[in-house]
Amino acid sequence: MDIFNGLLLGFSTATTLSNFAYCFAGVLLGTAVGVLPGLGPIATISMLLPFTFGLPVDTALIMLAGIFYGSQYGGSTTAILMNLPGEASSVVTTLDGHQMAKQGKAGRALAAAAIGSFFAGTVGTLFIVIAAPLLASLALTFGPAEYFSLIMLGLITSMVLTSGSLLTAFGMALFGIILGMIGTDINTGAARYTFGSPYLLDGLDFVVVATGIFGLGDVLMNLENERLRVTGVAPVSSLFPTAEDWRRMSAPILRGTGIGVLLGVLPGAGVLLASFSAYALEKKISKHPEQFGKGAIEGVAAPEAANNAAAQTCFIPMLTLGLPGTATMALMIGALVVQGVQPGPEILSQQPALFWGLVVSMWLGNLMLLFLNLPLVGMWAKLISVPYHFLFPTICVFMAIGVYSINNSVFDVYMMALFGVLGYFFKRMGAEPAPLILAMILGPMAEEYLRRTLLISHGDASVFFTSPLSLGTLVVAALLLLSIVSPRFRKVREEGLQEVD
Amino acid sequence: MKLSQDVLLGLFFVVFGVVSVSVAISYPFGTSGRMGPGYFPVIISSLLVLTGLLVLFRSQFVQPETLPAIRWKPLLLIPGAVVVFGLAVETLGLPLAILLLTTMTAATSIKFHLGWRAIAGSLAFAALCSVVFIELLGLPIPIVGSWLRVPGF
Repeated sequence: MDIFNGLLLGFSTATTLSNFAYCFAGVLLGTAVGVLPGLGPIATISMLLPFTFGLPVDTALIMLAGIFYGSQYGGSTTAILMNLPGEASSVVTTLDGHQMAKQGKAGRALAAAAIGSFFAGTVGTLFIVIAAPLLASLALTFGPAEYFSLIMLGLITSMVLTSGSLLTAFGMALFGIILGMIGTDINTGAARYTFGSPYLLDGLDFVVVATGIFGLGDVLMNLENERLRVTGVAPVSSLFPTAEDWRRMSAPILRGTGIGVLLGVLPGAGVLLASFSAYALEKKISKHPEQFGKGAIEGVAAPEAANNAAAQTCFIPMLTLGLPGTATMALMIGALVVQGVQPGPEILSQQPALFWGLVVSMWLGNLMLLFLNLPLVGMWAKLISVPYHFLFPTICVFMAIGVYSINNSVFDVYMMALFGVLGYFFKRMGAEPAPLILAMILGPMAEEYLRRTLLISHGDASVFFTSPLSLGTLVVAALLLLSIVSPRFRKVREEGLQEVD
Repeated sequence: MKLSQDVLLGLFFVVFGVVSVSVAISYPFGTSGRMGPGYFPVIISSLLVLTGLLVLFRSQFVQPETLPAIRWKPLLLIPGAVVVFGLAVETLGLPLAILLLTTMTAATSIKFHLGWRAIAGSLAFAALCSVVFIELLGLPIPIVGSWLRVPGF
């Protein structure tokens, strides 16, 4: 199927009344939950997951994607108005965005973020349209060795781009891999780490673990310093960027989009890397670098564009290879598996309506966000100022219902409680849980591909270095690891990631 | 050895890794060319033990930060409330389970005081959730739990 027919199919799928309505509902709910301080996309998606159960697969995926960008948008709103980043990649937005808000330019900062994101989203979607079919056909030629190397690259990138020490991140990834191995070994049928419990035979549900660690863990962490929670929301005035703003932000948006589109495809922490790089680049080439950190509109527009472009293109490895690039994408895979869809190169040829419908609805979702967010910004500001002691019981209820309804299993609810405590423990110990989440999905895949590779080569590991693609991937991974030893990069990483937690 | 973030985290990795190795060692290991179910777990768990030891080793060279005091009340009550929800959702039904969960979690806040507004709010919330999730979304969760059902209905 060529691109044109694909897009036509996509439009006819995405614009059916119910799909359009659920896309809208997803975007609206995603933003509403995403603006709540302290709720990142992972917690938002896992909280809203039950709303997608019982829907047909394509509708569910469209709504999930809508929730995902909605929560990203909502996160930037909170970052600008309250100086509270909902997730790592909106940390840079707080730097200049909140400064602008303090100077009474909150509306213009929000508009810059929205316009930048919309433009980047459009370009990102176009990029998916062109690149995804190419990559999917390329991926069909990948053997297990290539997949294994790509997985290693993804795991290493996520470790390098995590705040805190590399050693800690490595330990977290290993812990995640072990959690992923719980259940029946698909190759031999042996039950591993089940301790005789029938509930563990199918493995730990990924969504349950993510909800526990990110959702409940964050609630526990936030209650720790309940007294310290700030509740100042900057007032929103004029939403319209001035001619001067337009002039200053158009080039940064373009550059940010370019960076985001390319980095989003990288396995690992593409979205995070994109927004940091875009900010750093703007600061470097600006004629007035001293204005950055003091309310430069370029410092809002560029990272927001990069952030959103990467958020679109990180769907590419997820949809075409079945490999999640970020913890959020790992959760999306978890949600798709609940729906009975296994993402991979075959999804394009076997379920074209699903793929193209999703792509078109991504663009529609971005368009809705542009028209939804700016007029409704007053309402979002009100939502942000809801006190936390009303919020967190509600959050707990939604998470409990969500986790229960995945398998109608009470056992999952207990597991969520357990992982909530673990998530709290990790955060208190300064260990970022993102590598754990990614490793839990990627670990079993790595085992499977390693097993297949070595079965074909009769135990000879040199195949990883004789296939050019696998070798190239491993070299990039090794360079990344080496770069962290270099003091210069180390400094940049520490500066960039220190506020992220 | 003073307790610090690294010491606790290192201990966690080591203990979990050792348990994991000792469980995985009983699975058939196989060879590189024909990996058994124990191959990958043993390697990964051993690496985790090693990582944990390195973290412990590292902790000896870093000035330990004092660990801030833990607020035990939310840490125990909130996961406890989630467990209570799990116990109640099938036996008492969704509305009562939500009521228990909201009340128990809300009670951990420093701003909580039991009054008619808190009670009315949680009642309304439980009713709303039951309508949205069971009636509108059609999730198969009982409204009235198995303990409360009158025989014959």
